[in-house]
Amino acid sequence: MEALADFWAAYQSTLGFVVVNAFFALSAYAALSTGVLSFATVAYAAFGGFIGAQLVLQTGIDPLLALPAAGLAGAGLAYAVGLLFLRLEGHWMALASLALVLITRVVVLNAATLTGGVNGLSVPYEVSLGALVVLLLIAMFAFHRLSVSWYGIASRAVREDPAVAASLGMVPRRVQTIAFVISGAVGGIGGMLLALTLQFLAPDTFFINIAFTMIAAVVLGGSYHWVGAVIGAAVFTALPVVMQALVPAIQDVANGAALLLIMIFVPRGLFDPRALALRRTPVAKAAGGPHA
Amino acid sequence: MQLFIEQLINGCALGSLYAMFAVGFGLVFATLGILNAAHGTYASWAAIAALYATEQMGLPFPLALLAGVIAGGVLALVVDQIGFQPLRGRGAGMMGALITSIAFWIILDSLAGLATGQQSLSFPPGTTPSRMLHLGPILLPGIQLVSIGAMLLVTLGMHMLMRHTRFGSAMRAVGWNGTAAALGGVNPRMVVVATAFLAGATSGLAGVLAGVATQNVSFALGQGLMLKGFAAVVVGGYDDVRGAAVAGVSLGVLEVMSAQYLSSSLRDGITYVLLLGFLLLRPRGLFGRAAFVRA
Repeated sequence: MEALADFWAAYQSTLGFVVVNAFFALSAYAALSTGVLSFATVAYAAFGGFIGAQLVLQTGIDPLLALPAAGLAGAGLAYAVGLLFLRLEGHWMALASLALVLITRVVVLNAATLTGGVNGLSVPYEVSLGALVVLLLIAMFAFHRLSVSWYGIASRAVREDPAVAASLGMVPRRVQTIAFVISGAVGGIGGMLLALTLQFLAPDTFFINIAFTMIAAVVLGGSYHWVGAVIGAAVFTALPVVMQALVPAIQDVANGAALLLIMIFVPRGLFDPRALALRRTPVAKAAGGPHA
Repeated sequence: MQLFIEQLINGCALGSLYAMFAVGFGLVFATLGILNAAHGTYASWAAIAALYATEQMGLPFPLALLAGVIAGGVLALVVDQIGFQPLRGRGAGMMGALITSIAFWIILDSLAGLATGQQSLSFPPGTTPSRMLHLGPILLPGIQLVSIGAMLLVTLGMHMLMRHTRFGSAMRAVGWNGTAAALGGVNPRMVVVATAFLAGATSGLAGVLAGVATQNVSFALGQGLMLKGFAAVVVGGYDDVRGAAVAGVSLGVLEVMSAQYLSSSLRDGITYVLLLGFLLLRPRGLFGRAAFVRA
């Protein structure tokens, strides 16, 4: 029993980061579920995180009450980004959002009144692990409801074939804009939660590493269902911790190698609705499956 | 005026490094369809290999440079065959390759950190071209001329290869549609292998020269080149070598000039805003042509 308590004490913070990374991964998944590869979550997280943190610091309200503001800030930014960026074709959209990540850091460094500039911003407020888990459960419930709604069906259609979706009366740009707003809200909340978990925001907090972590988490977990994003975030957050316990000298190398092996041997991700469907119904197997 | 001209040449030399890196990075993106996050590490490893060749084997600079370039090419080839080859034909698309390249980025970056002992190393004095040339009142470091010359050679050579040889046609065909190229009698595997090597070698050249010019050989070297090279590729258009070269040099000049005359804290900001502006207003780049894709 004592060993269990030790384990809990040692890895409690890891669980917190799993929740935060799950929010980022869900944000990336929201855009990806309509077929748009976007790294812009980093910008939404930075915007939401700094606005939420400043709100708490200036007014002293409960951090959890500032979360909706962070989500709104992220969603607003995402709407603007969507208006500008969604005109671009596939590859260019990904590149533009990557450029936005690079710009985010420059803006954070230069907008010192909001972000503390090079010195960073200290956020001396805590949020309990229980609250984090409850928030993630709420977000998961929201994603579940969305995935079985009309919006969920439309997003799958737009992802598989925008031309067909348009001929069926859906407007791909509008569906993708909605996806961006969802991505922004979730990303903004994630940014605020990261601020509360780290209790400090450095100018490098919101940078390429988050972008790559969340995309890796989504692809690792499986990009065809929202559960994949959560699973991927859990695996990708736990991996460095496990590797540090096993092979501390070369932990980064081992991380990369594990990621590489997963990509080569399970390229569709750990949670793949098509694979499950194929196993369940032999008919679907013969027909090639729903996502073929 | 003298300061202006010196800074202009500084900017051109710096931009030449970005341009060479961008040529390699753009080649992979256009021909293989991979947004390769590991590309910067090829430059770091090429610089480390050249440093090793100089220090441990006592090779003169041109041979050490060659060793670095070959090391960059071979590394790119190995990464491609281990990491990207298994994904081809599996429909993993751009995402799968991106994640694999992130994995290699993590691996190669931390290995480079181990190889250099987490320090910034530099070439021993006297082993690299360090002569200063005097052109009237203007002082010119020799390495800058080497960088600019190498950039011109690489750009011209790569442009001739891509546009005026059968092999270049094969590369462009594979970039457009691998299956159709194979039906047309091109061996896609050969094209992929050669492209990976060429791309790694050009970026390796940029890496070695950057290591000499900045007196800094470390894992951070590649990342700096990577961000600016990425910007140059987007501004110049990734399917045209000339565009990447012009954009790379312009970014270098812009960076040096804005640090000199405006503010050094806005230096990177100007580059990235330009990058975003190009993406939104002219996504196909300086020299790119509009592409038509069937729905």
